Amino acid sequence: MSAQTPLHAGITGVQAVDPLALAPAIATLVTIVVLVLVDAVAPAAARLRRVHDVVALTGLGVAGVFVAVLGVTASGRDLGPFAGAAVRSTVCVPGGGFVLPSCSFVVSPLTLTLQAVVVVGAIVCLLLALDGPGARDRSVHHLLLLATVTGALVLAGSRDLAILVVAFETASLPVIGLVALRRDAQGAQGAVTLLLTAVASLGLLLVGVAMLLLATGSLHLDRIAAAVGDPTLPDSVRVVAVAGTLLAVAGIAFKLSVVPFHLWTPDTYAGAPLPVAAFLSVVSKAAGLAAVVVLLGVGLPALGDAWSPAVAVLAALTLTVGNLVALRQTVAVRLLAWSTVAQAGWVVLPLGAVASGTPGDARQAVAASVGYLVAYGVASLLAFSVVVLLARHHPAGEDHTLEAYRGLARREPVAAGALGFALLCLAGLPPGLVGLVAKVVAVRPLVDAGVWWLAVVAAANVALGVAYYLRWTALLVVRPTATPPTWRVRPAEGIALGMSLALCVAFSVLPQVVAGLVPTALR
Amino acid sequence: MSTFLDSLGGWLLVVLVGAPLLAAAVLLAVGDRVRDRAAAETGTAVAAGTLLVAALAAVGAAPYDRPGTGLSVDVAWIPALGVRFHLGLDGLGAPLVLLTALLTLLVCWHLVRVRPVAGRVRGLVACILTVESGALATFTAQDLLLFFVAFEVVLVPMWFVVALWGDDTQAPRVGEPSTPLPGGENARRDAANRFVLYTALGSAVMLLGLVLVALRTGTTDLAALAYAGGAGMSTTTQTIAATLIVLGLAVKAPMFPLHTWLPPAHTIAPTAGSELLAGVLLTMGTYGLVRVAVPVVPDGVRAIAPFLGALGVAGILWGGLACLVERDLKRLVAFSSVAHMGFVLLGVASMTPQGLQGALFANVAHGLITGLLFLVVGGLKDRRHTADLEGLGSGLRDRLPRLGWLLAFGAVAGLGLPGLAGFWGELLAIVGAWNGEGALGPLARPLAVLAAFGTALAAAYLLRVLFLVWHGPNGRSAAPAGPAALFAPVTVGDATTHEVAVAAPLVVATVVLGLLPWLLLDVTAPIVRVLLAGVGS
Repeated sequence: MSAQTPLHAGITGVQAVDPLALAPAIATLVTIVVLVLVDAVAPAAARLRRVHDVVALTGLGVAGVFVAVLGVTASGRDLGPFAGAAVRSTVCVPGGGFVLPSCSFVVSPLTLTLQAVVVVGAIVCLLLALDGPGARDRSVHHLLLLATVTGALVLAGSRDLAILVVAFETASLPVIGLVALRRDAQGAQGAVTLLLTAVASLGLLLVGVAMLLLATGSLHLDRIAAAVGDPTLPDSVRVVAVAGTLLAVAGIAFKLSVVPFHLWTPDTYAGAPLPVAAFLSVVSKAAGLAAVVVLLGVGLPALGDAWSPAVAVLAALTLTVGNLVALRQTVAVRLLAWSTVAQAGWVVLPLGAVASGTPGDARQAVAASVGYLVAYGVASLLAFSVVVLLARHHPAGEDHTLEAYRGLARREPVAAGALGFALLCLAGLPPGLVGLVAKVVAVRPLVDAGVWWLAVVAAANVALGVAYYLRWTALLVVRPTATPPTWRVRPAEGIALGMSLALCVAFSVLPQVVAGLVPTALR
Repeated sequence: MSTFLDSLGGWLLVVLVGAPLLAAAVLLAVGDRVRDRAAAETGTAVAAGTLLVAALAAVGAAPYDRPGTGLSVDVAWIPALGVRFHLGLDGLGAPLVLLTALLTLLVCWHLVRVRPVAGRVRGLVACILTVESGALATFTAQDLLLFFVAFEVVLVPMWFVVALWGDDTQAPRVGEPSTPLPGGENARRDAANRFVLYTALGSAVMLLGLVLVALRTGTTDLAALAYAGGAGMSTTTQTIAATLIVLGLAVKAPMFPLHTWLPPAHTIAPTAGSELLAGVLLTMGTYGLVRVAVPVVPDGVRAIAPFLGALGVAGILWGGLACLVERDLKRLVAFSSVAHMGFVLLGVASMTPQGLQGALFANVAHGLITGLLFLVVGGLKDRRHTADLEGLGSGLRDRLPRLGWLLAFGAVAGLGLPGLAGFWGELLAIVGAWNGEGALGPLARPLAVLAAFGTALAAAYLLRVLFLVWHGPNGRSAAPAGPAALFAPVTVGDATTHEVAVAAPLVVATVVLGLLPWLLLDVTAPIVRVLLAGVGS
């Protein structure tokens, strides 16, 4: 295939739009419009607060139903619900001669899995936020959240560089507003830190994408994959492509909190309302991983020998720094922030084993990364659900230390059990089997490819993680020093806690959900 | 009887593993309404039922002279990784299943009358039953990754046992009343953390080896892997896998110099915890060597066998020397565990039928004898809040004859006196090493000689204990003074009938296995032949 596909093909070609393929994103967009209308009709009516909540939740629910429907239609020929090949593609430009058409948006098992994580994470975070300090201004909060979700949903299916960049920014910039909604000095500081990081990263991402376009002459990832996979590619062009890849990865990495692009994480988590921190740690991270795996796994597997060692070094750094700093934390949300940094290392770890550059390796690594993300996502949501509840009942609020959990098991056995389970899932120890299997899944590609130094670093980090997760778990069951009031759990929080607990338990009993995310082909 | 058991089939094993876990969950769920006594009695009833099921399963799985597992249950679990929920009972697992079930029953029964120093009994019993479930699953798992999961199950509950119910009250030693020993919550947390971090790191390293085996052979079924005997893996791959797996298991076994987590954990742990650590957790490590290292990557194990054997002997000597100077009775028993496990490691490293048989025998004997010793020493420590040898042991036979006799019996059994269980395992391990040139190379005979010297060391340190117990000044005249008086003995009485009854099954089993060793050797012999078939020595 020629690397010289004319640029204007994407503009002049016939564009067929398949509404069902875009249905989840359309659902959230429509919800945004409805929210704006509701706000316009009755801007300050207290009675309508619940209407905002119901509209936003319904929108996310409908998006989730569409993801499920697309997943079920995909399962016709293959085993698992997400095991099929690509289901639908849309916004395509025709190929010429032997060139297949290239599509900007593809609904593949990869897309659907990432979208499922985004939707479930968003629903839980929204439920947690409803009564919190961040959602005093309902319409703004819900609008920003839904805008981010729309960006993340499109990002998961984007298969061309332009849509990827636009969707990535749509999934990044509204979050800054969400962080600022706490409206105090700490919140403002968190928002500014995130804003500066996001803007600087945008620059890197744009330069990287431009260099990829320059080197390959195409915006479509399948054509880029063919161009960089071409053995006749001159070295001078290859250098530009590799540089572009690394710059683009650096531009995306902040969203995953990968060291050394993680510096915003602790301040922003501590400054944001807690449900927004949960949102950052699950939905935002899923969007970041979507961008990474779409760009590297779908578009650039052939350059694996260049980007995979770089990702390996980043993963080792992220794991080690995140865990070492987390060891010293005493404030709950800061510990969670550093633990999500370490977990980001686990998420990108498998991508450090694609140095051979074969599509099979890339597929295995991407499946492992996404599988780990699913496990991490549900465990993280569960942990945050309990932390949000405790923060509402503790005098120190969202800045409470781990001491606040002393003896929690005696007063709130269910919540303490849920938190203990979530922490053990994150640590990867039984009974948190979902975390244990996810770690097996994550190190498999490394062992297969023989990247032993990274595998050993990962093994050492298991022990580091166990140290602080167990320290927290132990506090739950020791004798309490004081007896604070019992909790009054609101229905929304109860549903959020129940949902994430049910998912954690279900995935622990059936870890196939995490281990079996191996699409037949990366599309 | 046999047809009845056949119709139950492998589901007996599911009950065996599931019942203690379910009981633990129920105990945790019911809340603090349950009184301590009732919790301990519930635990005893469940453990007794589990022992009954274990005995039924052991009968059902007989005869053990055929390849494969007598009972099994096999269900797909994680198809993407090829992992099956496959439990089976064979001659390798059966003795350890019975030992685990017996020790758990005794530990729970002990708690009916004797409360731990700190904490509520309900949670402790729940942790003990979870440990039992994980250990039973480990001994019956027939799938590589299921084995790993089961191996990990014991970690968190055992950590809780040491960290929450640990005995951190430390009276000053006799003769140096002015220097209080480190104690308190930090000591407990420190010991527990050291245990869990060492073991978690070991497990993670082992996992890398297991994943490597699973990837290169394409199966995780232990029977298929043993049958293949390493076929499909190059010697280099096998050596890498064997190094990772053995390193991981060696932390738990423990092997010198990775044993440093063990003395503090044993010392701080409550009596129940020390017994489970010694009798169940350590045997899991050495069982793993025989189950997932030797038959699965035989060439790899052979490549590292000289190191394994040398470190095993180093453990024997180091443990013995440490015991010669150790003043804390609990630490002394802990170090003697390191020495016992050295014999087991040496037997495994020899890769001969005698060596492996000896390792398995020593494993069971260690569980019985060290379990008994910790029961007695724990009982002494509960009375005086110190385990200082001279303060406690001196003239013990005079003051507390029942405890004195039990301690003396444990010490004699521990030094490997012929006629008691400890003897056969050590003898077979040394014989195996002597004949183990195939794996140990030129080191075989020197290691065997050094190990034999280790038995003399064991005799020396245990006779030192015996001498104090028998002939030491009985200390009646010297009332505790100064800070020691703060820890005035709670109970100074001799072992109650209850405590003697708890210890009795261990004493009987030690004598029976010592006099009739073929009871155990006949069970393990066929499976050892199967496991070593791939070694082709």
